[in-house]
Amino acid sequence: MAPVLKEDKGGKWSSDLVLDLYSNLLGEIWELVSALIGEAILAFLFTLAIRKLGEKYAFLNSLKVSEDGISLDGAREDCRTVAPIEIHRGFQSLINQLSQLFSVLAEGVINKELFPKVFPKVKEAERIISQK
Amino acid sequence: MRLIFKNLNVLRSTINAISTSIEIKEIVESAGNNLPNLFDFSSFGVFWKEEPLLFLYQEESCPPSFTQEVVKNMIKVFSILGEESPIDADRIALQVEKRKLRPKQMIMDPKATLKSHLTLPLAVEGEILGCISLNSDQSNAFDAQDLQFLSVIGYQMAATLKHFQRFSSIKNIAIYDTLTGLYNRRYFEERLGVEAQKSFYSGTPLSLVMVDIDLFKKVNDTFGHTEGDQILCKISSLLKTSVRKKDTVARYGGEEFILILPEAGLEESFVIAERIRRLVEDTPFEVGGAQVNLTISMGISNFPSHRAKSKEELVKMADQALYDAKRGGRNKVCIYTGKSSQWTVPI
Repeated sequence: MAPVLKEDKGGKWSSDLVLDLYSNLLGEIWELVSALIGEAILAFLFTLAIRKLGEKYAFLNSLKVSEDGISLDGAREDCRTVAPIEIHRGFQSLINQLSQLFSVLAEGVINKELFPKVFPKVKEAERIISQK
Repeated sequence: MRLIFKNLNVLRSTINAISTSIEIKEIVESAGNNLPNLFDFSSFGVFWKEEPLLFLYQEESCPPSFTQEVVKNMIKVFSILGEESPIDADRIALQVEKRKLRPKQMIMDPKATLKSHLTLPLAVEGEILGCISLNSDQSNAFDAQDLQFLSVIGYQMAATLKHFQRFSSIKNIAIYDTLTGLYNRRYFEERLGVEAQKSFYSGTPLSLVMVDIDLFKKVNDTFGHTEGDQILCKISSLLKTSVRKKDTVARYGGEEFILILPEAGLEESFVIAERIRRLVEDTPFEVGGAQVNLTISMGISNFPSHRAKSKEELVKMADQALYDAKRGGRNKVCIYTGKSSQWTVPI
């Protein structure tokens, strides 16, 4: 279910709200893709994608990935000083990176399953955040 | 529904076959034999980075160009996953197993190209051991269910390969001397048992050469044990590179080494030993910033010449010959004689 988004006093999205939004999205991606390729491989791919982007978006390094799933709890503290739009860009890049890895491995098979269910939500999140 | 049950049964027996395999070739064959019942594919590949090895199990009519494309694609995917510098394809041992996977009327076009693939990393405990790949000359040959099945097979393969990896590192600890990288005494005993049995039954000659570094205690006392260890490593490497492929070089203990020379008569083993003795004598060793010259003494025993009745007796004879070489002034190769061994004067 999509999170309820609220603006803070300044009329901007707080980092917590952006994190909530992407926490749900990544959770959905996890659920769908782990059913296709298994938790071990997916955890490996998430770690790989984060490692690739971690230098540009340092807060991604505090995401916790294990075979049980992905947790954004550790990232909340690190994100306090990061602009919400930067958080959004970081997660957007992460999802793109994952999508590229899925495509390298299985051509369209994973993305074909993922796109109809998850990517409209990704696009919606992008739309909401970029409107601000 | 019936089809799903059938596929699950095939999957179950594939996993069972993989998990009970004892070597990588067996894993691939177990999988290869079962996979045609699960997927329509032209080629199934397993890449194991440890060796590195690439096994392909493929349709009999697969053209070589298709095989090359599969290899190239698997290396490319693995490089992306492993974030490693491009793997040198020449370093990979390629093993291709061709089987009849398709009916005669569906044999592959000699110009067939790789149209679709599913490639998954063999990932276990966050480590990537390699990858597996299903490949086809047909477009969109695989779907989500194929991916699910392949991932289950990959998971089991990764676990089995990890088990092999652990077993091989335990095996290494069990048979190699950690300092010199030579075989250890335990392995020597085991190897000698095998070679002695072969020799005693077939009557083919077998020689043992016991080696000891002369006055090694002096090196340790003067320069310290770290420098002493370096000398041991250097001499080990000289020994290793001076013997034949079929010979075994082991660290017997301290500064003592032992060589098993299968099918070597007294004359041949003497030539080998003498060559090693001279090589060590002529090699300057860097110790604590200075260059020192070292020598070794060696004792040889041989079956059947010395009529040893057991492997233990053969070792004792080599040891006795070594003792004689020491007593005779060191830097010598002595052959066991029974009472006092013969020794050679270095030229």
